[in-house]
Amino acid sequence: MPSELVEVEGHIIDSLILAKVLDVIVEAGADYRMVDVEIGKTNVDPSRARLEVSCDDEETLTNLLEQLSIHGANRVTTADARLETCTIDGVLPAGFYSTTNLPTQVRLGGHWTDVENPEMDCALVVLADGRIRTEPMHRVHLGDQVVVGLDGVRVTAPERPRGANPFEFMNSEVSSEKPKELVVAQVAERMRRARADGRRILAVCGPAVIHTGAGPAIARLVAAGWVDVLFAGNGFATHDIESNVMGTSLGVLLREGRPTEHGHANHLRVINEVRRHGSIASAVRDGLVTGGVMYECVTHGVPFVLGGSVRDDGPLPDVHTNVVEAADAMRAQLPGVGVALMLATTLHAIATGNLLPAGVETFCVDINQAVVTKLADRGSHQALGIVTDVGLFARDLCDQLCSPG
Amino acid sequence: MAEPLTWGRRYLMCPPEHFGVLYEINPWMHREVQVDPDEARAEWDGLVATLRDAGAEIDLLEPVEGLPDLVFTANAGVVNGTQFVPARFRHPERQAEVPHDVAWFRSHGFTVDELPDGVHHEGAGDALPFRDVLLSGYRFRSDASSHVALSRLTGAAVRSIELVDARMYHLDLTFCPLDDERAIVAPTGWDAYGRRVVEALVREPLVLEPDEALSFCANSVVVGRTIVMPACPRRVGRQLEAWGFDVVVVPVAEFLKAGGGCRCLTLALDVKLGPLA
Repeated sequence: MPSELVEVEGHIIDSLILAKVLDVIVEAGADYRMVDVEIGKTNVDPSRARLEVSCDDEETLTNLLEQLSIHGANRVTTADARLETCTIDGVLPAGFYSTTNLPTQVRLGGHWTDVENPEMDCALVVLADGRIRTEPMHRVHLGDQVVVGLDGVRVTAPERPRGANPFEFMNSEVSSEKPKELVVAQVAERMRRARADGRRILAVCGPAVIHTGAGPAIARLVAAGWVDVLFAGNGFATHDIESNVMGTSLGVLLREGRPTEHGHANHLRVINEVRRHGSIASAVRDGLVTGGVMYECVTHGVPFVLGGSVRDDGPLPDVHTNVVEAADAMRAQLPGVGVALMLATTLHAIATGNLLPAGVETFCVDINQAVVTKLADRGSHQALGIVTDVGLFARDLCDQLCSPG
Repeated sequence: MAEPLTWGRRYLMCPPEHFGVLYEINPWMHREVQVDPDEARAEWDGLVATLRDAGAEIDLLEPVEGLPDLVFTANAGVVNGTQFVPARFRHPERQAEVPHDVAWFRSHGFTVDELPDGVHHEGAGDALPFRDVLLSGYRFRSDASSHVALSRLTGAAVRSIELVDARMYHLDLTFCPLDDERAIVAPTGWDAYGRRVVEALVREPLVLEPDEALSFCANSVVVGRTIVMPACPRRVGRQLEAWGFDVVVVPVAEFLKAGGGCRCLTLALDVKLGPLA
């Protein structure tokens, strides 16, 4: 919906100019949001109001802005965005515009253009054909045109419809005291809706998913087509394969819950064997791995990105040991993602949250409330936190979405 | 008891040496209508004499060839004590007047403060003090955006009034302060918001009918209890006299051909804006 920021200043209260401006907007069939009002303290002090005016089409907006300017309400951002050229690969011009994960528009040549892929903490690069993309600093090149300063850039704040149900607005509500069955049913509903709309579903998994025995449930979700892309680390994939090959997760027998003798080395032996096969896909093809989440990903063609860390054992041959490349590989999988499930992972949840546009419905499931809070504190305000045991959650979700059998 | 206006005893006027209808920038101006220069001079002399008789002091601005509307000094700018804010005319035809106005004020001890570029404001023609505020018109000649700048420069609390009738293109054709409670008002010249603003401000308005307003009777000069008018419909005159004013009608028919009356021909030099003492 086209919108524009206008400002009106002066003795606008006593002169009824503000009232008139608001009436003119409403009469034109447009809408406004009061962004900021400063009322003068004495009757000599001028007052000032900033309004965001929006309407259905550009033409109506243009006519309305012209009408408003007669009453002294003038467009605030009349300037185009300023561009500067990168002079060094991987280094942005000083004063680059630092992005949010919100829908963003850039004004060039008098027109507002949507940024294609909102992502926080990036720069805005204007391509030769006029498209605008966010790029992290390591991906800019000599000669790239980068937006600098704040002029000519606007973001759309997420709408927050009022409602009693936290699912009606995604705003970092942490639901530790909500009936879990209901919460799970609502997550399932969101996933159904996403699939019906052709949006992809991303699962981000931590090793606790396997430790808590939720592996088979996630594997079923993958097999049933409820996961379109998987992000995880070396630990999750390792324990998933360990549980399939050796029946343990970090040496603990998943069926009996007791440690096996010398089990602490199980995962190392598994990693070693997968490395012998060259990749997880080869290990599956060669019959080493016969079930589990990674197995289902390989057999159902679900792409996965495994990001490495300094404390990894092995790692598995598929793990991206260069973290910058890992993040780029994750980015490449994001187009079309509409729902993200963050399951019992702190680091990968935050890493993914950094990459996701604010419009992606994000559910963060963790036994620890701090994970959800951390995610929100880092700017992923759209995340809905569900404080519960991931094992129970995953099984309930699987029951909701997958037919028995 | 209403107190007389604190201003209106000293005026700047410009002899109509070079006055004529040489262009058309308002609905009253028609180039085919000839101005009689002798008649114009006689009318203008009559106005000066009447104002002096009423107790006003008249200062003179040198007429300039090629600037026929310089005679309408009301539009030169806004006076506030020893401060002068020159007009920013909308029409290029009148923009050349500004340096002459500024030169006069500078040489008479005024400080000149200019409005920013890009806004239009046509001086006292669109800005009249009433009580502790400055009413300022906008739309045809002045911009609403000029009002905040004017307020910043002068410290005046401005009430913006939208003018809606092109025949009454300046505020001084629709509003004439009489004292601190009364004013002649022509609400048909304003939008609904402007009417409400004036209603809240003027305790005893003399409300003009549409045809009375078009007689230019609001374009009058008030000197104490004397009202010098270009025309005075009978009903209006009766009301003014009932309020104790002396009404003097000075014919200015030649100037009406250019869309200006008595007020337009004068600029009060003794206006002090801002909060009441």
